[in-house]
Amino acid sequence: MIKLLHVEDDADIREIAMMALELSGEFEILQCSSGSEAIAKARAFAPDVFLLDMMMPGMTGRETLDQMRQDPMLASIPAIFMTARAQHSEIEELLMNGAAKVISKPFDPMALPDQIKQAIQKTDTTK
Amino acid sequence: MTKFTKLKSSTAIAVLGGCGLAGAYYAASHLLLSGQAAAVFPALGAIAIAGTVPSFLMSMSAARQCRDTRFTMGQRLDAFGKHACINVVDDKDKLVEVNEKLLKLTGYDRDELIGQPVTYLYNDIEKEVAAEIRHSLRRGQSWEGETRLRRKDGRVVFTQSTIMPLFDSAGKWAGSISVRTDISRTNELIAERHTAQTLYELRDDIWIIDSDTETFSYLNRSAEKRFSTSSSGYRGRSLLEVDHIGYTTEVLKTCREMRANGKAVTRLETVLLDTPVDVSIKFLHGTEGSGRFLILITDISEPVEQEKHKADFISTVSHELRSPLTSIKGAMGLLLSKSAGELPDKAISLLEIAHRNADRLVLIINDILDLDKITNGGMEIELKDVDLAALIKETDQANAMLQQRFGVKVQLTGIDLPVPLSTDPNRFIQVLTNLLSNAYKFSKPGSTITIEVKDEDTNVGVFVTDEGHGIPQDEQHKIFSRFSDMANSDRALKGGTGLGLNICQAIIENMGGTIGFESTEGRGTTFYFHLPKVSPQRKNTVEDLAASTA
Repeated sequence: MIKLLHVEDDADIREIAMMALELSGEFEILQCSSGSEAIAKARAFAPDVFLLDMMMPGMTGRETLDQMRQDPMLASIPAIFMTARAQHSEIEELLMNGAAKVISKPFDPMALPDQIKQAIQKTDTTK
Repeated sequence: MTKFTKLKSSTAIAVLGGCGLAGAYYAASHLLLSGQAAAVFPALGAIAIAGTVPSFLMSMSAARQCRDTRFTMGQRLDAFGKHACINVVDDKDKLVEVNEKLLKLTGYDRDELIGQPVTYLYNDIEKEVAAEIRHSLRRGQSWEGETRLRRKDGRVVFTQSTIMPLFDSAGKWAGSISVRTDISRTNELIAERHTAQTLYELRDDIWIIDSDTETFSYLNRSAEKRFSTSSSGYRGRSLLEVDHIGYTTEVLKTCREMRANGKAVTRLETVLLDTPVDVSIKFLHGTEGSGRFLILITDISEPVEQEKHKADFISTVSHELRSPLTSIKGAMGLLLSKSAGELPDKAISLLEIAHRNADRLVLIINDILDLDKITNGGMEIELKDVDLAALIKETDQANAMLQQRFGVKVQLTGIDLPVPLSTDPNRFIQVLTNLLSNAYKFSKPGSTITIEVKDEDTNVGVFVTDEGHGIPQDEQHKIFSRFSDMANSDRALKGGTGLGLNICQAIIENMGGTIGFESTEGRGTTFYFHLPKVSPQRKNTVEDLAASTA
C-alpha cells in the first residue's frame, strides 16, 4: 500500500480524489484541508508521497512542502503538485524545484492512481 | 502749430503783403504823377492792390497746401499697398480691383481674379465666414477678423482682414473694400511657441542630446525635475555626469549604437529610480554625421501595474473556474467509469453529453488564457531542439481517441527519418492538435487525414489534409479570425471554441513561421504551416553568443 498525504482545500475535489484512489485499492490515504493541518499530521502519518494542491488559502502547496522539507524525516518524500493555473512557466519552475510531477486541473480521476505511481517510480529511479 | 494757427498766419502775411504792395504803388505813382491825377490814381491803384493781392497770395498758399497733402496721401497709399493685400468688390460681390500684394499672396494673375465672386478667394471652410462678412457689410457695418484664403496652389494662408462697405454718392450700397495682412508666419510662430510650451509641460521627460559631445542641449520641465536641475544647470553637462540616477548609461549605450549602425529610431524599456520607463530615441541628423538625439521617456509604471493586476485577475478567474470544473468532470468521470455502480444507457448518454461539454469549457478557459497572452504579447515560447517526426507521432497517438470517435484514419508521410527542428514542443503539439481536431470534425466518417512533413531547405512544412466538405469561398477570408465559425450551428456538438485557428496563427507567427490553408468545396482542405529550422529567437541568441565570445 502506498501511503499518500493529500492536501486540498476543496472538499469536493478531496472526495473525488479519495474515491478514485480507493477504487484502485493501492493507497492508504490521509486527507488534510490546509497546509498547516498537513504539517501537523505528516510526521505521524509518515507518507510515501505528498499530493499537494498549489493554490490554497493561508499556506500554498509550495510553502507547505518547503516547511515539511525542513523536517529530515519528511525531506526526501516525493511531492506531486496539483494546479489549476497550469501556466507552463509555473509547471517548469515546480519541476525544477524538486516536484516529482505536476498534475493540471481538471484531472482525470481514473488516471490519477497511475499518474501517482509513475511519479513515485520515476523518483525512485533517479535517486 | 495747429491748422487754424497756420491759416491765421498765412492770411495775415497775405493781407500785410497786399497792403505793402499797395503802399509802395501809392508812393511811386504819387511821385510820378502830378495834379488831380496824382491824387486819384495812386489811391485807386493802392485800393485795388490791397484788395486783390491778399486773395491771390491766399489762393496760391491754398493750392500749395492741397498739392502737398495729395503728395503725402499718395505716398501713404503706396506704402499701404505694399504692406497689405487690398481688394475691392462691387455690389454683386464680384472682385473689381486687386492689388499686387494680394496677387503675390494668392498666386493668381489679375485676370484670373477680376470678375470672380469674392468667395473664390476663400477656403471652403470659410464660406460661413464669408456669409457673416456679407451680412455685416449689407447693414453698413465694417467687419474685422481672421480669414483663411485659398491660394491658387491649394494651400491656405491666414490673413487678418478689415472689410468696409462702400456706398455711392446717392448712399446706395456699392460693394466693399478689403484690407488684409498675411499672418500665416505669425500663426506658425504662435503654434511653434505653443508646441514648445506643450513639450515643456509634458508629463513625459524629453531630453535632447548633442551626438558629438553627448551633452544635454534641452530638458523639459519633467526631466529637469527628475534631474533636480534648472534650465541653466543641465546645458553642456554630459549624460555620464548625471548618471547618479543610474540609467543614463543604458541610454547612452543605445545612442552610441544608433550612431554606429545608422539606426534612426529605437525603443527600450528600463527602470529609473524603481520606476519602469519606456524610452524612445530618435536620431535627428545634422551635418557631417553629427546630430542630436531626441529622447522621450514615459513612465509606464501604471500600465505595468494594471497589466499585472489583469494577469492576476485572469489567472485567479481561471483557477476559480477550473476548480469547480475539476469536481464536475471528476464526478462525471467516476460515474461513467461505473465507480458508483451500473447506470442505465440513457443516463450514460446524458452523462457523456455533460462530460463532453465540461471538456469544451476547459478548452475555452485555456483558449481565453492563451488569447490574453497573445493580446498582451506575453505568449511564452520555449525553444528546444526536437525531432519533429517524434512530436508528430506523439500528437497522433494522443488523439487516437478522437480519431475513433469521428471514425477517421490518419496517414503520416515524410517522418520516416528524424526531422530536427528548434521549436517549442508544447506549442507545436497545441497547433497540430488543433489542426487535427478540426480535420476530424469536418471529415466524413471512414475518410483519411494526411499529415505530411516536407523539408524546405531552411524551413520545415507541415501539411494536414482532410477529405471533408471544404470551406465555402465566402467564409475563407475570416478563417483565422476569432469566433470565425460563429455561424456554425454544430460548433457545440463538434466541441470548437472559435478561437483555435486564431491562436494557432499567433503561435506559429511567434515562432517565426507562417500558416495558411487551401480548400476546395466538396473535396477537402489542407491546413499548412512552415517553421524555420532555426527560429529567429534562437538565431539571435546564437549570434549574440558568437558576438560575445568573439
